[in-house]
Amino acid sequence: MGKRRKSFSHTKSFWMFVAPALLLFFVFFILPLFLSIGFSFTNYDGWKTMEFVGLENYKKLLVSGEFYKTLARTFGYAIFSLPFKVIIPLLIAALVTSRYCKGITAIRTITYLPVLISALVVGITINWMFGQEYGLINFIIQSLGGKPMEWSLNPFLATFVISFASNWASTGFYMIMYIGGIKNISPELYEAASVDGAKSYQAFFRVTLPMLSPTIFIVLLLSTVNLLKEYALVQGITSGGPGTSTTYIVQYMFDQGFTQYRYGYASAIGVVVSLIFIVIAAIQFKMTKGGEVD
Amino acid sequence: MKKRTMAGILAAVMALSVAGCGGNSAKETTAAGNAAAGSEAAGEVSVSGKTLKVLAPEEPGSEDALNNAIDKWAAEAGVTIDRIIISHDDQLTKFPAMAKNKDLPDLIQTTRLHQLYPEEFMDMSTVVDLSKFEESALKIVGKDYKSDKISGLPSQFTTTNFYYNADAFKAAGVEVPTVEKPWTWDELYENAAKIQASGAVKYGFAADVSRARYDILMYANGGSLVKQDGDTFKVNVNCPENVATLESFVKANADGVMPKAIWAGGSTDNPVEYFKNGDAAILLSGSWNYNSMLTDVTKFEFGVMPSPKGSVSQAAIIGGSALAIPENAKNKDVAAEFVKWFYEEENFKDYLQNDKGLSSLNTVVYEPADEKAAADFKLLQNEVGYVTDTFMVDESSAWRTYKDNEYRDYIKRAVSGELSAKDALDAFAKELSESSKWEMAQ
Repeated sequence: MGKRRKSFSHTKSFWMFVAPALLLFFVFFILPLFLSIGFSFTNYDGWKTMEFVGLENYKKLLVSGEFYKTLARTFGYAIFSLPFKVIIPLLIAALVTSRYCKGITAIRTITYLPVLISALVVGITINWMFGQEYGLINFIIQSLGGKPMEWSLNPFLATFVISFASNWASTGFYMIMYIGGIKNISPELYEAASVDGAKSYQAFFRVTLPMLSPTIFIVLLLSTVNLLKEYALVQGITSGGPGTSTTYIVQYMFDQGFTQYRYGYASAIGVVVSLIFIVIAAIQFKMTKGGEVD
Repeated sequence: MKKRTMAGILAAVMALSVAGCGGNSAKETTAAGNAAAGSEAAGEVSVSGKTLKVLAPEEPGSEDALNNAIDKWAAEAGVTIDRIIISHDDQLTKFPAMAKNKDLPDLIQTTRLHQLYPEEFMDMSTVVDLSKFEESALKIVGKDYKSDKISGLPSQFTTTNFYYNADAFKAAGVEVPTVEKPWTWDELYENAAKIQASGAVKYGFAADVSRARYDILMYANGGSLVKQDGDTFKVNVNCPENVATLESFVKANADGVMPKAIWAGGSTDNPVEYFKNGDAAILLSGSWNYNSMLTDVTKFEFGVMPSPKGSVSQAAIIGGSALAIPENAKNKDVAAEFVKWFYEEENFKDYLQNDKGLSSLNTVVYEPADEKAAADFKLLQNEVGYVTDTFMVDESSAWRTYKDNEYRDYIKRAVSGELSAKDALDAFAKELSESSKWEMAQ
């Protein structure tokens, strides 16, 4: 009995520290998660109707052409944007941690600033730049005698604009993660490489990159999940258009739930999409060996 | 191994958290109806010292007529006003939560809540005499979709209408249509292209991105969304008339007479701004924009022209916002007292002169001091008469309770070229039929 009490007093402070975080995590993540799974088996309309419908929502979803089209579009967008999400912050981080670089603080600050801006403001800023009628870029193109770009009419250009905005808004965040990773690499490794006659680019590819594997894995994972979940930027920039060419899975889910009041069906989409995301994360984990350094 | 397990759990939880987006808060039972509705409100009630919680769709400016009327009454009655601001769109998702949590405002300025959830609102016939209201305003803005209950009273009454850039018309040598001699829709497209070709404007014609604006083309050409079928309805949205109307609309966008980016859905630009900037010669919008036109249009002269004739008739869509009182609101008696006061002829006249809008009362009209504005308002009031029977049938079907934005989105997909006009309307008709359980007419 005394031993148990001693053991509890030993872990008491631990539980007191983690309790607030656990409580918030439970209320805002775990509880909605289980509620959502529960709703997915009902025809819940957000207010009054909630009857158990078994697997009906899942059956409807799995034969819905619109769902698969939207999912494919989402993957296309994620695959297009992912290399930029991972590589650009890495290059900037490598630049600002280099002893040859000048104005490091300014570069870091400028790169990080968009992270502090809300997605809505990012949308407004990007619209101001890429607006088809009154945008800055088209104004410059026309001033130089060129033909204005159809940012809002061409599906590829519209996707590019969202991808650009998403990268612009997140580069600073991932840059900070990379800087942390680079700073943790032992200087002795670079000294050893230097003694062996390695040039800067060789040190980058042979020392920096392998040692950054854990950070790259986290950036890859976060970027993938965030790209697959892209919503606010899309709403602010294209609202899913032209047509449905930039309507991605979360927007589709939101529309089913909050516009069409099909909370049950939207919950089923959420559950299926989550499972797909888990599979993707697992594949990434397997392929990158969880970011372990060999 | 431990590290791998932790990373695996982290990844799974991050991904699973997405599922939370599809759900909502815990289930609760609906607030029970109150059988004693309105009986108390019908009599004189002492409201002094009480608080009226008002839900408005936007932060009221210093010249907001309704807000000023509420403040004036509150000062006279000794009532404190507590305002909550929630946009019309957000009201639709937040009102159910308010009702669940029994945290309802006493008075709501809304466009749809009272029609979506009529059982949650007081029957306004128990509060004021309904005979003094413009019948169509009461029917469209105030009435429950499925019964004769008046669950809200029209505070702002609006109609669709066409604005034109008088300078651009003049530069292109195009005569403005008149009430006696309105254009046809073909003439509107032709003249819009002519004005555009003259170089006076960038686009000949622009229209708000709203199905309620687009639908006047449909009604003018004899189309409708549904058809009455005894006590029920049939889905008619993909009828040949509607397909032809959408094809013309798509063509006007594809030809560049209209700014295609707006209706193709890839831009969040507001066509009203195109008109105000002098980039569009004709604008299909509504009477609610008239006063902002007066202040914002400074580069050119603008005017109001009658709606064009389709293959069948002219058409207009009326709407607006209503004042509604939740049945279970704490101070619904205070709200009822305000509503009684507001619709007294003298008070409503004051309100309308400040609001500068169309009147929903038979005995009161807005009388602008400016001669041009007075002529324009006469024309706007005239548009109300172009409301078609097909629109009234569509509204009575309450089709928007089954599908709403999806219709506009299918039109966008047709304009963007993603779907043909027929495929877009067929697809929407199928969805509406499945949701409403109405048979297809086509």
